[in-house]
Amino acid sequence: MKKIALLICFSALVNSLNLTAQSFNTLWIPDTLSGTTFNLNIKDTSAVFKPGYTTLTSGINGEFWGPTLFVNKGDTVHMNVRNQSNDSTTIHWHGMHLPAVMDGGPHQIIPPGTLWQPFWEVTNQAGSYWYHPHLHEMSQEQITKGLGGFLIVRDAEEAALALPRKYGVDDIPIVITDRDFNTQMQFSIVPYGDSIMANMTLRAQYPVPAQMVRLRLLNGAIETSYNLGFSDNRSFYVIGTDGGLLNAPVLISGTTPRFLLSAGERVEILVDCSGQSGSSFFLKAYNQSLGGFIPGGESFPNGPFASFLGHTNYNIVKFNVGAQTSNPITTAPTALVNNVYPLEASSQFTRTITFSDSTGVTSVPVLGPNAFILGHKLFDYDYINHTIPLNQTEIWELKSTSIFGHPFHIHDVEFYILTINGATPPAEQRGWKDVILVKGGNTVRFIAKFDDYADLTHPFMYHCHIALHEDEGMMGQFVVEDAALSVAPSIQNQTDFTIYPNPVQDRLFIQQENTSNEVYYVTVRNMLGRALMMLPKPDIKQGIDVSSFKSGMYIIEIMDVKTKSLKSYKFIKS
Amino acid sequence: MKHFFSLFFLFPICLSAQLHVGNPDFRLRNVDNQMISLESYPNAKGFILVFTCNHCPFAKLYSKRLNALSEKYEALGVPLLAINPMDTLVYEEESFELMQEKAKKDKFKFPYFQDDLQAAGKYFNAKNTPEAFVIWKENGNWILKYRGAIDDNSDNKERNITYINEAVDALLLNRQVVTPETPSFGCKIYYRK
Repeated sequence: MKKIALLICFSALVNSLNLTAQSFNTLWIPDTLSGTTFNLNIKDTSAVFKPGYTTLTSGINGEFWGPTLFVNKGDTVHMNVRNQSNDSTTIHWHGMHLPAVMDGGPHQIIPPGTLWQPFWEVTNQAGSYWYHPHLHEMSQEQITKGLGGFLIVRDAEEAALALPRKYGVDDIPIVITDRDFNTQMQFSIVPYGDSIMANMTLRAQYPVPAQMVRLRLLNGAIETSYNLGFSDNRSFYVIGTDGGLLNAPVLISGTTPRFLLSAGERVEILVDCSGQSGSSFFLKAYNQSLGGFIPGGESFPNGPFASFLGHTNYNIVKFNVGAQTSNPITTAPTALVNNVYPLEASSQFTRTITFSDSTGVTSVPVLGPNAFILGHKLFDYDYINHTIPLNQTEIWELKSTSIFGHPFHIHDVEFYILTINGATPPAEQRGWKDVILVKGGNTVRFIAKFDDYADLTHPFMYHCHIALHEDEGMMGQFVVEDAALSVAPSIQNQTDFTIYPNPVQDRLFIQQENTSNEVYYVTVRNMLGRALMMLPKPDIKQGIDVSSFKSGMYIIEIMDVKTKSLKSYKFIKS
Repeated sequence: MKHFFSLFFLFPICLSAQLHVGNPDFRLRNVDNQMISLESYPNAKGFILVFTCNHCPFAKLYSKRLNALSEKYEALGVPLLAINPMDTLVYEEESFELMQEKAKKDKFKFPYFQDDLQAAGKYFNAKNTPEAFVIWKENGNWILKYRGAIDDNSDNKERNITYINEAVDALLLNRQVVTPETPSFGCKIYYRK
């Protein structure tokens, strides 16, 4: 607590540092990775934001933030996530429909020095998703330090459309965040920053061609919602929401065209820069028009929620329009994709999730004795809040009595909003979503189908995407149950495994004696017990690659699907 | 609104009262395999204890600065002792062998101890690597005079605020330490339960 207090105090002294400088930095465009196998190395590292000062950051394959991963719908993608940082962490594939054991929620903890290898078949449609840490009580700190990245899905339907698609040229990913620097130029772990960052660049500018430009905007902030618009109040088209393209572009126009983007949320827009070569304009946050109970609309002079950016308007990126590229896209398509949303009548169950400012909930360090909570309960690691039958279509009624707005996020599914306070949502929200800002006192109803992935062991999460709120318990969890498979663990279902060859040089194979069972999870440890590999549902026919191990004895722990009992075996790496 | 949680009660947190640190009787293994304790330095007026480690990027940045501090203050009777409190079970890179390699590669002019039981780290409640503690002998007792960052992280020599130099220089002149506590920054030290 002492440290937090000092950091806040110091930061208040210096936080105008980055707002007063006039020079611009070129917007950094993250590197890309594509294919079906992705190597992601999480590291503590450092970056220089102010000459002469080094800021401790976390990065994935780099010094801050991570590469943009391009995946194709229908491919099975394999992730080699190696945690080389000081802290345990998790990596959650935000928006992806995948098995819970691969999801990277708070239960899939990767200790320092460990390789985690999730894989899944990409079934999401083309869109802008992302990945970020999700370790309970550490999300705010680890996101602040820079962990995260875009995950862009491509598919044939999207590829057939006349849309800008040249990454970094006319198709630009921008993660918007804010940070607070203390006097030592370290990040303060606070909910609101005083320095806006676009792709981790302070005072960013970027050249755009004189044609239709696609911006993939991600709110990667801890708490702030950004009420986005352009400095010349130009209109723009919303073409995609969290879970992919809309049926048709929605023109946002009028005297003050705006799109409110909350923490964790994405929007894809088209901005027409045709014929504007030589001119400049800004992407801005118009947060002065936000109410005091919207994240980013608050205005506190001091305390942990103080921010120079609270309830004010500010620039995010300056765009300098240059020459047109060859084969430019100059108009927005009239139609996009054919989304089939579940009908309200198809719902088999309505589930109500309350948002409240609970009195008497204690043990939370920042929010105090009146934490924001869901379902009248602080997050409990070992408590499953909801069990949902596989393939059930449900309406979730998010009912807020909280005074404050909370961006609600659910794992596993993309949902479709039916009503906000009884009314049909605006056209630009009528698409697949996985985050929705539930304003104080509002009721939001959405519909979703919980298909494909049943697992009673690993839960999916739902939570407020304000990392501080989530860390302090505004989160719940659900499992999807396949009644046909839910048999009580019995001795008949247990299985032994044989591992071979032993000693092993390259690949260790697992043979199960009961062929009706399957391997659910494999952990490989050294003799001190340190986890070296965490392998959810590994393909045991391929064997486990231990070729990089030093010679010596190791332990392999194998958990089976049916009984979830754990068997340990020793093997020697020669 | 309720977001106002009073942090003002936490101020001031500085070491306004002199803090006795007792007689830390650690015997820790230096990278040269010698077991050393504070009593191995009978003439020391004080110590600069720096909790640091191998793997943290910030600890890596400070090798040269620690060498400079050690060279300057050991001659004035204030040795610098570096202590690695990281859990070797968790971090493979913190092994004694790799500490020896680091001390050699970075030409450490000071001892670099492995605190494998994390006793020294717990005793001082060290939070991050690097984090420094200046202790001073007064009437036979060790008194904590400074804890926190080594400096303000600036590599600009004209503007750099070197907290340890300021603290030790003041103590050598029998003066009060003006800034007895600063927030340290770097990698968190996790203690095994």
